[in-house]
Order: sequence, then structure tokens, then C-alpha cells
Amino acid sequence: MTTGNPDTGERWRVGVDVGGTFTDLALVNDATGAMSIHKQLTTQQDPSRAVLTGLETLLARAGVAVGEVSALAHGTTLVTNAVIERRGAKTGMLVTRGFRDVLDIAMERRFDLFDLSITFADPVVPRELRLEVDERIRYDGAVESALDPDQVERATRTLVEEHGIEALALCFLHSYVDDRHEAAAREVVAARFPGLTVTTSSEILPFMREYERWSTTTVNAYVQPLTDRYLRRLEDGLARMGFAGSLLIMTASGGMVTPAIARRFPVRLIESGPAAGALVAAFLGEQIGEGDLLSFDMGGTTAKGALIRNGRPLRRYEFEVARAYNYKAGSGLPLRIPVIDMIEIGAGGGSIARVDDRGLLAVGPYSAGADPGPACYATGGDSATLTDANLALGYLEPDAFLGGRLNPDGPIETRVAGPLGISLDRAAWGIHEVINEDVARAFRMHASEIGFDYRRCVMIAFGGSGPAHAVRVARKLRIPRVILPVGAGVMSAIGLLTTPVSYATLRSGQILLEDLGAGGIESGFRPVIDQATGLLAAAGIALDDMSVERRLDMRFHGQGHEVEVVCSAGISPGELGKRFLDAYAAIYAATPIDAAIEIVNWKVEASGPSPEFARGYKPFPGASGTDCEVGSIDAWDPQAGERRRWPVLDRYALEPGQTVVGPALVREDEATTVLSPGDNMRVDSMGNLVITLAEEEA
Amino acid sequence: MTTYDPVSLKILWDRLVAIADELVLSLVRTSFSMNVREGYDLSCMVFDAKARLVAQGTYSVPSFTGTAPRTIGHMLAVYPPETLRPGDIVMTNDPWMGTGHLFDVTMLRPVFRGSRLVGYTMSVTHLPDIGGRGMASDCTEIYHEGLRLPVCKLRDDGVLNTLLLDVVGANVRVPEQTIGDLMANAACNEVGGRALLEFMDDYGLDDIDSLSDAVNDHSEAAMRSRIRDMPDGTWRNSIEIEGPGHPVTLAASMTIEDTSARVDFAGTDGPVRASINVPFCYTVAQSNYVMKCLTIPDLPNTMGSTRPVTVRAPEGCILDARHPWPTGGRHSVGHFVVPLLMGAMADVVPERVQSDGAMMNVFSVQGRHRDGGDVSSLFFLAGGLGAMHGLHGRDVTPAPSNMTVVPTEIWESRTSMTVESREVLPGTGGVGRWRGGDGQKVVFRNDTGHPLEFALMGQRTSFPARGLAGGGSGALRRYEVNGAPVDPKARIMLEPGDRISMYEAGGGGYGVPDSQDA
Repeated sequence: MTTGNPDTGERWRVGVDVGGTFTDLALVNDATGAMSIHKQLTTQQDPSRAVLTGLETLLARAGVAVGEVSALAHGTTLVTNAVIERRGAKTGMLVTRGFRDVLDIAMERRFDLFDLSITFADPVVPRELRLEVDERIRYDGAVESALDPDQVERATRTLVEEHGIEALALCFLHSYVDDRHEAAAREVVAARFPGLTVTTSSEILPFMREYERWSTTTVNAYVQPLTDRYLRRLEDGLARMGFAGSLLIMTASGGMVTPAIARRFPVRLIESGPAAGALVAAFLGEQIGEGDLLSFDMGGTTAKGALIRNGRPLRRYEFEVARAYNYKAGSGLPLRIPVIDMIEIGAGGGSIARVDDRGLLAVGPYSAGADPGPACYATGGDSATLTDANLALGYLEPDAFLGGRLNPDGPIETRVAGPLGISLDRAAWGIHEVINEDVARAFRMHASEIGFDYRRCVMIAFGGSGPAHAVRVARKLRIPRVILPVGAGVMSAIGLLTTPVSYATLRSGQILLEDLGAGGIESGFRPVIDQATGLLAAAGIALDDMSVERRLDMRFHGQGHEVEVVCSAGISPGELGKRFLDAYAAIYAATPIDAAIEIVNWKVEASGPSPEFARGYKPFPGASGTDCEVGSIDAWDPQAGERRRWPVLDRYALEPGQTVVGPALVREDEATTVLSPGDNMRVDSMGNLVITLAEEEA
Repeated sequence: MTTYDPVSLKILWDRLVAIADELVLSLVRTSFSMNVREGYDLSCMVFDAKARLVAQGTYSVPSFTGTAPRTIGHMLAVYPPETLRPGDIVMTNDPWMGTGHLFDVTMLRPVFRGSRLVGYTMSVTHLPDIGGRGMASDCTEIYHEGLRLPVCKLRDDGVLNTLLLDVVGANVRVPEQTIGDLMANAACNEVGGRALLEFMDDYGLDDIDSLSDAVNDHSEAAMRSRIRDMPDGTWRNSIEIEGPGHPVTLAASMTIEDTSARVDFAGTDGPVRASINVPFCYTVAQSNYVMKCLTIPDLPNTMGSTRPVTVRAPEGCILDARHPWPTGGRHSVGHFVVPLLMGAMADVVPERVQSDGAMMNVFSVQGRHRDGGDVSSLFFLAGGLGAMHGLHGRDVTPAPSNMTVVPTEIWESRTSMTVESREVLPGTGGVGRWRGGDGQKVVFRNDTGHPLEFALMGQRTSFPARGLAGGGSGALRRYEVNGAPVDPKARIMLEPGDRISMYEAGGGGYGVPDSQDA
């Protein structure tokens, strides 16, 4: 137990990550690196209760007074779930006359041409709550017809009085060029209907392409009232506890925002949990001096991956929420928000194995989840899942499951081995290996898309199922080293503590490089930088403490996809062109061609000072004296093609500096690491397991 | 011969498809062609050493379903495998050898492991321009449509054929874009070759021929077992569609016999003096597409998956148009093969067929931007999708091919036209137990200050999308200039200030409507 120390009193921070099942908490002393962790069952009705109860429990256990906590960093799935479960506010929308149906017309595209029965997610604002007003700004910013404030007032009155809307989205054409009509409409609404929350499309993201911008705007409006209520409950509860530090909220881009920014842009909170996982991987990489990493997180339903280059997880401005058809890309609502670029595939412990239409083995994307769960949980599930296969292979121990009574072999035999005419061992191994292949393929594809060479990288693996698969996946990708961090069960909560307050945004503004006059680059960035730094300044961060990153989306004029180019202040158009050609050649291995180069989007990220977390953390004291080998198990050895007796180690009894040569299973509370024969494992000074893969197997 | 159990086969097969997918991704992202990047009008393939298709990229439009084995046959007839060397790239845009029109270029690259030929990769993309009159309805000979390249080598033993590139460059409007797309095809095949060799290394494979046997046999067997589930018999359908000044009849019969399917287009009219004639390869692709939708939609395309299906057409008919008939807009007739065959099978597999869709509206616009620059672009608009048993047709959604919306904001900045409105047209989808999808109305105003030429190629202007199983037809597509109807296949000059309104057709309904719905 750690006791509070007046000298370090100001240095405690807490990370709290609210997940679907558990609320994870991590308490860290930035000066000493001391850490305590705690898991609390999530309270679905009001998630703030679990946060507050969990915090009280953790602080009491660690002997830290709430007054000694300087910051609470919070991540939540509240917003994502509200969109998926359609629990947001009744939301109205005012649009440019003639364009009420943009949300229905959507992409005019089928995401699968062969499956005729595909379906799409409904917009969060139904047609009857979208009203048109006269106004028109042209693509070049000229006002073609002025906004009529009376129409704005009348339309809003109809939506409020006849439909009872709580939130309003203001979406006008070309507002990314000039936002004056949206701003004027907002003033009218704010003056006449002070109870409404209002979102304008130009402040959400001044991005050219009305459908995606408006989709993002309506989702933001839809979750605004609920986010506001949640944050208020949390703030009130923390105040009652005597918490006087700062509350920070995690966004999908991996940056923290203040509650004020979170209330204005709650859509940015979507998908923040997985982002925190990638951040902690980046942080660990920094600790061990590795900048290029693959972060691999596999839980019960999905596996997520992120690529980290030079210590920074890669970003993009595209996300899709609430996929309506078999998890397929294109079936959900598009969001243009800054997110950590994640691979997500339907592969987790609950993934169901079956025989597909080809007559071959398939695993996922359907999942038994936690309810009914894998067959071996004996909670009513009768599907053959990945967890069942791992248990059958000896990669998990039977006593790891409370139920444990039901044999996992049954469903694997009847649903996979029997129909395919293969042995039980072969079926179980097949399920395990198909998932490894699926994950490796997704990584490979994504890396090739962005020109990322992962072969020199280190993989950082976590999540309930990650450690059981990491080594095999790494081997397929020819990645030489895998790290299984300590505290894997609360990785996201720890990740929340590693990242500064920041705000990322972009603005569309197409211009040919050759048309950029003197100062053209600077003036293009200026409004974007002003918005981002302005928001941070309002959050109390001094301009001197901010760092600003500039990036440009560029392409050959006439192409439809862009390449991101990092640029510094004062860069010349010539140098910019050179960087673009280099980046282009690196990604596409294509001969650069003789075409004009253009800038498409201007991207900026402003960040406050980084938290003092760089010294790392020490969650567990080294266990000494106890024997780490706690038993052995009959496990499937893929090289031998038969079962062998493998030792089982207790992770908590391993000491820093200790080395182990595989095969072995390393058991911890939330996961089991599978070490293949010949792999070398070393425990580093922080307690992480560092595995160096054996040379290529036959 | 090596055999593969259902676990190994799954793993190796999926990896092969992923190689093809990787090629697709790289091509889409580097393409200048709007059809490629917005509509995935492209395809990539992997072949074994015996030139058998073993994997095709997951994303591509139906036009490429099963065409590749014929194309590679034509190419290897000119350059036999034993003459090929590691640095070769073979290409053609011949409509009859490739995919039906000059716009599509096909590139083939042999893959060598050491000195041994172990397979091939291939890419097909729709080029931004190939000279001639561009995409329009009113060409009367193939010579109007652009440059035709017989099977030739873009690269010979590592040496780029610069003369060939100069010839292409001299024949197209924006050479850097067309040449850029040719080079992007060459580059993606390099990537594909490396990926194939890496795959073979990973799994210790000396060749992929026995794997290809397994993949092809397996997909053939899967296809045959689904066809066997259908009752034996012959079913017919015939439809009329809009031709140049007169209707054209398309007719088909589908025969199911045990595990095989035979499609025969007997009764179909002859070719027409407009660029809407369809080379047979394209007809076969659309037929294979329908069979895939009706059986196993997610079965990866292989040579084996098309073996159970044979396709015939009367020699020289519009679905087997021969040289020198123009074929540039072959989709505007060829896409109708899909509703034609769906209609034939409506009583056989009632829960799998889809009622007629609105077909895509493709039109080209040429003129001058307000700022003085040239405007020359193809645009797409979708009508309503056909309904199915259990599913309303989605509004404003294309079929059978694909596209992506051109946002109003992009449209306006690219052309300086004003899009006055864009709205769903309620009630334009056919009635039915399940309703056809509604079309849309889009109004453009010429604010460029210069005349704008619109080349229209509209279908569903006389013959609506029909419903199935008692469902009603969708509304027709029509065009108005300043409120007066215009010929849906005309070239129209839109003067400054003029408006053109496009009313996109509705999709067909499915099933007899409930009384309150009728």
C-alpha cells in the first residue's frame, strides 16, 4: 500500500476508463511512478456512479486523499453506445433550401455489390425533423442569397413546439468556406430558444463534402444533451467528494479535452477507449526506445490494431459508427472527426466458428459476446468460440473459468470438426490459427495502404485474448519482438494518463502549389491554428506552453485520394512539393508523374504540455521467493503436430531480469500468454514480458 | 499432388484474395480516373502458372466477374508463356479481348521465382481518357471512340516502351492523367508480384498450381451444390429497352440442369448504330454476376466458380457485338442483362431475386468554368433500387454497378454550375408488398457565364423498372430544360442561366401491395 505524502501531494492523477462491463481505474504518482489499479463493475443506468464509487475505493485502498489528486483523466463509451442504441436527444436540423434529403441520399453507393440484401443505418435526424431555410453561399464564399432570420426562427419554432426537439443541427452548403450564415442562424436560435443545444457544421469540421460534414454535425447534436447531463452528474459527484483538480476527457484522436470542449464537440468522444490503448503502446515504446510499433488489442468481440510511427499513433479523419449490416464498412454513419487510425476486425474470444458457404472453416465476425458467451463458460452458450478452442488446445487453464464444468470439445466437435471431417485437435488449432491469420492479414493490408514497414517494429499486445495470440501473429508478420505490458487489464485507464490536452482539426481549401503566393501557406493555416489554439487558450493553457503541428493533405491534381505531408512553419512551396513526392513514392512505390500538385486539406493539432508521466510506473512490487512455475498442462504444439507437456508460469511471481525459454504459458488475472517453443522471454525492469521470437520455424 | 484440408485451404485462399485486394487498394488510391476512385471500376487478379484465375480482388464492379480467364488467353496467344521474361508487362485495351470497351486497359505481369514462371498478376482499370469522342451515345463506329491498343508490351525485359507511351500521350486530352494511370497499373502489378512471392515463402510453396486446383475445384463444387438446390427446367424472360430512336429487345432463357446452368440470349436483337453495343465478354460477366448473387454472394471469384455456368448468345447480336460496332457505353445495354435474368428466375428463387432497378444515369458535361478553366467531366446520379422479398428497395441507390455521390459542394466548385436542389422524389418507386426505391430530382443552373454541353445517355426513359411477383413499376427517368422535356439521349447546349432538371427513375416493387398501400 502506498501512503499519501504531503510532499508529493499535488502529483497524483487518476485515469478512469468506462467500458461496457468494467470501469477501470489507475492511480499514479507522477513523481514516484507508484501506481494502484482497480476494476469496478460498470453501472449501465448512470455510469458516473461506478466512476465515483470506484474512485473512492481506489483512493481509500491507496491511502490517498481526494484533495491530493490533481487531475482525473476520463474515457467513456457513453457517446458511442448512445448512437448505437439510439438513446440520443430528439434532434432537429435546418438546412439550405433544396437539400433536406442529403442525409437520405447519402453516398449513393452500395457497400457490397453481390449481397443484394444489405441494409444501412438510419440518420439520427428523421426526415420530418429536417426543415429548409432560404440562404445560399457559393463555393467561392460569395453570398448568393442572404439568410432570412425570420425563417430560421419560424422553422425552429415548429421543431420545438410541434416536435419537441432538444437539440438542433445547423447545416448549410459551403459553410467550410464561409460560416457567416450558420453563425447568424445560431445567434437567432440562441436568442429565441436558449434551452436548445445548437451545433453548426462549420465549427464541427470545416470539411468540404456536405453529407459527411452534416452527418457528423447531426450526430454531435444528437449526443450533446446526454453528454452534458452525464458530465454534470460526474462534476457534481466529484465536487461532493471534495475533488478540486481538473477533469479531462479523452477523445478519439488520443488527445484530452476539457469538459467545456467535450460538451461542445461530444462526437469527438466516440471510440476513445481503443485510442487510449494505442497511446499506452506508444508510451511503452518510448520507455524502451522504440518509435515504430504495432499495437494489438484483442478482447471478447473485436481485435483492434494501430500503427505507431516515430512514437505517434497514426491518425485519420474518418470514422464510421453504428454499422448496421454484419459489421461491414459502409453500413454505418460516417463521421469526420480526428481519430487514431485503427484496424478493427471481428475477432475476439467470443468469435464463433462455423462452416462457411465455401465449405471451409470461418471464425467471426459473429460473436457470442459475454452472453451467452463461449460454451466453456457454461452460461448457456453452445457455439464453438475462439475461447473454447484455446481451452481445448491447452492455451487456457480450465480452472480459469468459474463454470468450467462444460467441456469445450462438444461444440467444436459438432459444429466444426464433424461437418468438416477433421480431427478435434485440427479443428481447435484451425480456429486459433484462422484468427491469427485474419489479424495478420488486416495489419498487412493496412500497412501497405499507408506505406508502413512493420518488419522492424515491436508489437505491443494486450486485451483479454491478445497475449494468447500475439506471438503467432507476430511470427506471421515477421516481427521479431513482442511486448506484453504489465497491467494489461487496465491499459486504457493507464493510457489516459499519458496524453496532453489537445485539439486537432482541419479545413478544406483546395489550391495548386504553383498558385500559392508569398505567405500563402501561412495564411492557409492561420484560421485553423487560430481555432485550435483559441480553444486551448480558453481551457487555460498559455500560448507559450502549446505546441502546434501542421500537416497537409496533398495529391496530384485530378486524383481523388490524398497523401499526408508533415510540414513546419515557414516551409517553402518548393520544399513542400519535394516532401509530397517523397511521401507519394514511399507509399505507392509508383514513379512520380509530371502533374500539378495541389493542397486539399489544412490540418492542425495544438497540444498543451505533456503530463509528467515519462518516468513510467510501477504497478506491482516484485514478488520474490515464490516459485514461478505453478504447474503444467497438455498443450497443442503446432511444430510437433501433437500435444506436449508445457509448463505454466505465474506472471506475478516472475522477477525483473528473469528469462524463460518457450514453450510455456504465463498466467495472469485477465489473460494468458502463449510462448511457443524456442521463443525467449525476458522480464524487464518494469515487469513487462519481452519476447524475442525464435528463428523461422519449418 | 498436395492436398489441403478445410483449415489450410481457408488460410491460403484468403491470403491469395488479400493479395488481389492489396492491388485494388493501391490502384484506387493512385488513380486519376473518376470511375475507378468513385465507383471501383477496376479489378485485380492472381493466376497460377497454368494461367488459371485463382483469386480476384473483392471490390470491383460486376463487369469483371469472370472475364479475366479469356483476357489472359488472348494475351498468352500473342506472347506465349515460354517467351516471357521477368521484366515484362503485357497490355491491351481491345474491347473484345478485355472487358468490352476501349476505356478499360488490362495489364498482365508474369511472376518469376528465380527463373521459373510461377504465376501472373493482372489489373484492369477504366482510364480517364483514351481519345476519340469520349463516353457518349452517338458514336457509330469503334474508330470514333478512341485509340485501340492490340496486345502489346508496355515493358519488355525491364525496358519501358516509351514509344507506346508517346503514342498514347499524343492521342488523349490530358496525357499526364492517362499515362499516370497506366504507370499506376504497372506499379501495382509489381507490388502484387512481390506479395505473391512473399506468400509462397511464408508457406514454403514451390508453386501455386496444386493450391489453385484446390481453390478452383472447391469453388466449383460449392457453386454446383447451390445450383443443384434449384429445380431443373428452363425459364425465359424478355424485355424492351431504349435504343437509338427505336426499342431494342433483349431475350434470355436460363436452364438449370442438375449442377449446371445455361444462359442463352436467343431472341435478342442485333447491334445498333450507337455506342451501346456489348461485346460478349461483358455479357458473360453480367451473367456470372447474376449467378453469383443468386447462389453464393461472398464466394470469391475463381475460374472454378464460373465453370458450372455456360453462356451463349446469337452470333453478332447486340449482346455479342463484333468489330467495328461501337461499344463505349456498353453498360447502358449490358447492365440490363441483370434484370433480364433476375426476371427469368423470379419464380424459381423468389426469395433471392431483386426487382428491376432504375439504372445509373451517366452524363458528361463540357464547357468552361466561371474562372475560365475547362470543364470536362463525367457525372453519375442514381435512381431507386429494386425491392426484394422482405426488403424495400433503397432510395437513390445504384444497381447493378456502383458509383459514389458527387457532393453538391464538389460539383459546384468543379464546374461553377449551381445545384439548385437535390431531393428524393416520393412515390416514384413501384408499389408492392415491399416498395421499390424512390428516385431523386436534381436541378442544375448554368451559372458559368458560358454555354455548357450536356451529353445525355439516359435509360428507363420509355421502359420503367418492373416489379416482380405482383409489385408495380417505378416511375420513368426524364429530363427538362427550363421546364420543357428534352430527348434523353441528346447532346444539349445549356445557355447561361438555363436550368436542366433530372428526374431519376424509381425501382420496381416486390409482391402484391397491401390494400392500403396500393
